[in-house]
Order: sequence, then C-alpha cells, then structure tokens
Amino acid sequence: MHIPDGLIDAKTAAVTAALAAAGLGMALREVQRQLPPRRVPLLGLSAAFLFVAQMINFPVLAGTSGHLLGGVLVAALLGPGAAVVVLAAVLIVQAFLFGDGGVLALGANLFNMALLGAVGGWWVYRWASRIWPGPQGHLTGVAFGGWCSTVLAAIGCSGMLAWSGKAPWAVAFSAMAGIHMIIGLGEGLISALVWAALWRLRPDLVAQPQTPQSGVPATGWIGYGLLVALGLALFVVPFACPWPDGLERALAKLGLERAELRPVVPPLAPDYQVPGVSHAAVATAVAGAAGALIVFGLAWLLGRWLVRSAGPNRIGAARD
Amino acid sequence: MRLELLSHLHRPQPGPLERLPAGPKLLVGLGIIVCTVLAPARQPGWVAALALLVASAVVASRLPIWFVLKRLLVLSPFVLGVALVQAWQAQDCAAWGMTLAKSGVCLTTVILLANTTPFTHTLQVLRRAGAPGLLMTTLALMYRYLFVLAEEAQRMDRARASRTFRASRRLQWQGLATLLGQLFARASERAERIYAAMCARGWR
Amino acid sequence: MTAAIQVRNLHYRYHDGTEALRGVSFEVAAGECVGLLGPNGSGKSTLLLHLNGLLPDPPASPPAVWIHGQPLTASSLAAIRRQVGLLFQDPDDQLFCPTVEEDVAFGPQQLGLEPAQVQARVRRALAQVGLAGYERRATHHLSQGEKRRVCLAGVLACEPVILALDEPTSDLDPRARREFKTLLRELPGTKLIATHDLELVVELCPRAIVLDQGQIVADGPTIRLLNDEALMLAHGLERPHILRHIHPHPDVGPGQGGAS
Repeated sequence: MHIPDGLIDAKTAAVTAALAAAGLGMALREVQRQLPPRRVPLLGLSAAFLFVAQMINFPVLAGTSGHLLGGVLVAALLGPGAAVVVLAAVLIVQAFLFGDGGVLALGANLFNMALLGAVGGWWVYRWASRIWPGPQGHLTGVAFGGWCSTVLAAIGCSGMLAWSGKAPWAVAFSAMAGIHMIIGLGEGLISALVWAALWRLRPDLVAQPQTPQSGVPATGWIGYGLLVALGLALFVVPFACPWPDGLERALAKLGLERAELRPVVPPLAPDYQVPGVSHAAVATAVAGAAGALIVFGLAWLLGRWLVRSAGPNRIGAARD
Repeated sequence: MRLELLSHLHRPQPGPLERLPAGPKLLVGLGIIVCTVLAPARQPGWVAALALLVASAVVASRLPIWFVLKRLLVLSPFVLGVALVQAWQAQDCAAWGMTLAKSGVCLTTVILLANTTPFTHTLQVLRRAGAPGLLMTTLALMYRYLFVLAEEAQRMDRARASRTFRASRRLQWQGLATLLGQLFARASERAERIYAAMCARGWR
Repeated sequence: MTAAIQVRNLHYRYHDGTEALRGVSFEVAAGECVGLLGPNGSGKSTLLLHLNGLLPDPPASPPAVWIHGQPLTASSLAAIRRQVGLLFQDPDDQLFCPTVEEDVAFGPQQLGLEPAQVQARVRRALAQVGLAGYERRATHHLSQGEKRRVCLAGVLACEPVILALDEPTSDLDPRARREFKTLLRELPGTKLIATHDLELVVELCPRAIVLDQGQIVADGPTIRLLNDEALMLAHGLERPHILRHIHPHPDVGPGQGGAS
C-alpha cells in the first residue's frame, strides 16, 4: 500500500508531509523522553526486523502470498511513539533505496501507515489488553488491531487519492477498503501468530510494559488525536457525500478548479441530503461496522485458541 | 522470500554518475520528481521532456537497462491498479496515461539514484541537512543490520525448510511465525549487545 | 608498582540466579599478556565485561576491580572505560556504524576530540591494523577477518592502555587468523585474551589463567599449565598438539628462550 510518486498531487503531498512531520516530531519527543538509553539501539534493530519481516511470504493460495506490515506488532512491543519512529525509518529506506513508495509521498505513507494505521491499531490493542488481562487480551488486541490498522491505512490512502483527483472517492474507497478488509485479516492473523511465538520464546519481551502506562501526559494524546482528526477531516469526511459528476471533468485540471470548489475548512458533519445516496452511505457504514464486529469475534477466538494451544509448551513457563 | 530486492548491483567499475557527490545528486533527483509531479496534466510536453532527461541519465549511468526495467515492473502494481481505475472511470485516456508516465519517470529517477549513490552517503547528506539525531541513529543502525538480519532469516528459513516434509499451509504459517518471533528475539538481544559495545566506547 | 588490572573476590550472579563468577581474584602487571582459558560457560566473557564496568550495572560498591590502582566505581567509570579497550566476541555487535570510517571514529568522537584529531586517529588506527584506505567501505560488505580488524581499529583509536579481547580468532579462516595473531603480537600494552585457541595462547601469552564454573582453577606459566594433561582435561580443555613438537622442558616454549 505504499503510494508511489505521481499518484498524489503536490498539495496532497505537501499537506500530508506537514501532518506526518508533526506526528513524527511528537513521536521523537515522546521516545526521547520515555525510552531508557539502553533501548535506543532496539529502534534501529526493530526497523531492520520489520523490513526483513515484510519480505517473508506467507503462502495463501496457489501463487499469491501475504506478508506482515507489522505496525501494530511493533507498537504492542515497543509503544506507539517508538513504532512511529521505526516505521518512519522503514519507509525512508524503502523509498530512497528501493523506490517502494514515493519520495514526495513519504509524508502520505507515513501518515497512513504509522499515524493512522499503527497508532490507531495500537489504541485498539491497548483497549483490548486492558479489558481482558493476560495473553488472551493481548492476542485479541494484536489481531484485531492489526486488521484495524490495515483498514484505516487503506481509508486514508483512498482519501488521499481522491483528494488528488486520481480516482473518485466512491471507487477508491470501495476498492481499497474492500480489498484491505481482506488483506487486514492476514495482517491480524500473522501479527497474532508472531506475538504468540514471541510470548512462548521470550515472555519478558512481551510482558514488560514497554508502553508508558501511567506516565503519559494527556497532552501527548491530544496532539496525536488532533493530527489524526485533522487528517480524517481533510481526506475522508468530505467524501462521505460523493461529488457531482461534472466535477470529474473539472478534476482533470490540477489544482486551481478544485481549490475553488472545495470549502477552505471542510465541514465536519457532511450533509447527507443527496437523495439516493444517503442510503448508500448508511449502508456502507453499517456493513463496515458489521464487518468489524465479525473480525473482532474472529480475533477473540484466535486469541483463545493460541493461548490454549501454547499452554503447556511455553518454553518460559517455568520462569514465571 | 523477496530478498532479491536487497541485491544491489555490484558493478566492476563505477559509472560516471557514481563519482558525483551525493548531495547535489539527491537535490537534482528531488527536483526532477517535484517537477514531474507539478507538471500540468494537460501538457504532456513537460513530462516528455523530463522523461527524456531521466532516460539519458540512465544511459549515461551505464546501468543495465534490463535491471532498471525489472525494478520498474516489480514496484509498479499499485500504479497500474490506479491507472486501471482511472481508465475505467474517466472519459479520456490522457488521465491514466499521464499517471503512468509521471509515476514511471519518478520511479526511474529513484532507481537511478538508489543505484548510483551508496546509502551511507545519503545518510550523511540527511545528517548534514539537520535531520533529528534519534531518527538518524535509527536509520544508520537499521541499514547496518538489515543484511545481518536478512541473512539470519534466510538461514533459519533454510533450516526450517530442511525439516519440512509435508506441504501443510498451517504448519508453514506456524513455522514462519516462529521464525519471525525468533528473529525479533535475536534482534532484541543483539540490540542489547550493541548498547554494551556503544557504552564500551564511551557513548553517553 | 601497581598492577594494571587487580581483581579481588569478584562475584556475579545472572538475573535468573545462576552464579557466573564465584570469588575471582587475580592481578595482571603492566605490559603482561595473559591468556584466559576455560570451557564454554566458565564465565570468561562475563569476567571481561567487568573490566570496563559494563557489568555490574550499576557498578558494585565496594569495588572489586582496580585499573592501574583506580577502583571501578560509578564516578570513575568514564575514566576507566578510556583505559580499557574491550573487543567483543561477535564483530557484528561491535561494528555498528554503516561505514568503516564512522565506526572507527566513534570512540574518538565520544572522547570529545576535534574533527582533525579524530581523522588522524582513524587513519593511524586503520594503518595499525593493516586496513589503510578502507575508510569509505561499507561495514556489512567486509569479510569476517576484515570486520575483526576494523573492530580492533575502533578500540585502538581510543588509545587504551589495556586490551581485553573476547575470542578474537574464533571464526577466522587460517590466513585471517595468522594475520590477526601477528597484529596482536605487535601491539604494546597490557593484554588479556579470553580464547579457545590454545595455540594462540602458547604463541602470544607467557602466562595463562584457567577459569571453570566461575572460579580460577589454575594460574601460571602457559607451557606448564597446558602440559598438565590432567588439569586440561578436568576443565574442558586439552593439551594442544603444538606442545608435542617443542622443547620438552615444561617452562620453555616458542618465544620464551631460557628457563622462566
């Protein structure tokens, strides 16, 4: 899901770069404040790990295979701020060294995959692991959080594509979000399996509170929350009501016309008065929510199954 | 494992572009990408001119053409997908043709830069440009240990495959997940040793 | 004259409770080259980590290690680290910068030297290990032997007076091993070499210490120790073949001339 150069226009790239820079800055500050010095090399090594992990193919059907993206996994192990830094390093190397993801699109990719995806998914993980203490909750959180992160990143991506005029929102959203709801299943499953494997091998690595629990100042989360809300407001919410057809022709002209048509500050509560469309929008929302619930149920079952199957085989069991 | 992406082209003698300093090269490349993205969609002349510029740079660099084309193909599925969507939706072909062309030019520029500039030089340029210290440390360590971890993963994968006699997708997934868990554990232990090595030479 | 290294009654326990070092005491005089032998798990690496204060964390009080008469405490940690250069077992752990130049310059930079001085030290250290001109090379492309030599250069660039080496020849091919041995022989200063390479000890270290299960079981002239077959076998070692082909007098070996 790395957006290459040429797929988003200059203003999208600029705005997302600004949002991503702000988010990365906040993450760096948080990491510097919270991370003990002996863990600093772990950031670089985790980035290398993530890069290599993304190259390992998990065979699905004949020919196709999936692979881990790992944002939520790293966030669960190291904390959300560290995950943002790690993902930034991975994306930079991927862009500069391999052309996987555009150089100008770095901000967009970082916003989607790190701020929207990894941090959003981490929130889900944290909520789940608090409600169900013990490995069951962690596994459910990692699995469901992994799925959520994929879907969230896809939604952000489609919003950016639509903002750039490369693809109309309805098409981009249904294609990207739809596909990634399936891909997200793989991400959730693999993340959970790897977390379970790590829990068996080195329970001290997963059990330790890597994330600052009580010490997080509220201002940190307000900052992240604002960034994400702003991004969603810019890229997703305005598209909830589709554009009239005539805009498609106007979208062919880059920049000028679009700026005139769109309000400077997009409405936070879009108007669903267009006849025949409101049903579609509501239906989409309901379908999405239902899908999420189903996936959550699957994640919960997966968590239980993994905990049970790992029970007596845990290598570190005697040490607890 | 898609490790072939890590195999950089090692050429017997460096081409002319490799001898140029990294900073200006990166700036020029960035400039080309910015111009390509900003080029008006309705005037293909601009993109054509940039494409010509990049193509002549590829020729000048003496990189094998098949290498460049292969990388282009490997990295393009997303672009093709979006272009297909545009072709299906839009009234004229110009839109998706332009998307393909722009992406192609940008991608080729990056491939060119990546293969004529050692990443360590890029890191130095970024450091001089004032990138945050923690990010630079992370990038440097990441690049340094990328190949180490990749080789470890490859060795573990081969060992796993040597003891796999049944084609069971479930066992394969379990095996790969364990491999990744083991890889992270080893990476974590190595990070501790690196911290000790850094302290031994006076860090912090 | 104060010993270069003084260790008195050193104890250390791992986090899971196993005792790694049980009352280790010894002294190394300035300029001596001592071999540290012992089976796997005897505590050799752990002992070396105590010499520059990496263990215990935080430093023990009262101190158990003295470097050139200075006790190893939290306040003297930085000063002692400058004096003791530690070469780690796995060069990939120690060689953590992307280029050779950056890695060798790391130590001098941490010392706070001027860029010109740092450059000079890097050049000198690389020349000392026979890798002049390797500055711009990427570290992950080097061979094992080259990596070890760059690690040594990185340590030498800090100009320590004591060198502690952990298995310096463990994964080298015969030629790289020979080159590294020659290098080590020519280095001045006090040296403590933990190794399984018994031939290396015979050739470079007039004195050897045998460690087993965290305790020193023997400490004396290398040839005499290694010729003691019973002692060697009892502690997971063996009498090296090289000793079968030299002077039968137990105290005389290569490079030692007359009786000790």
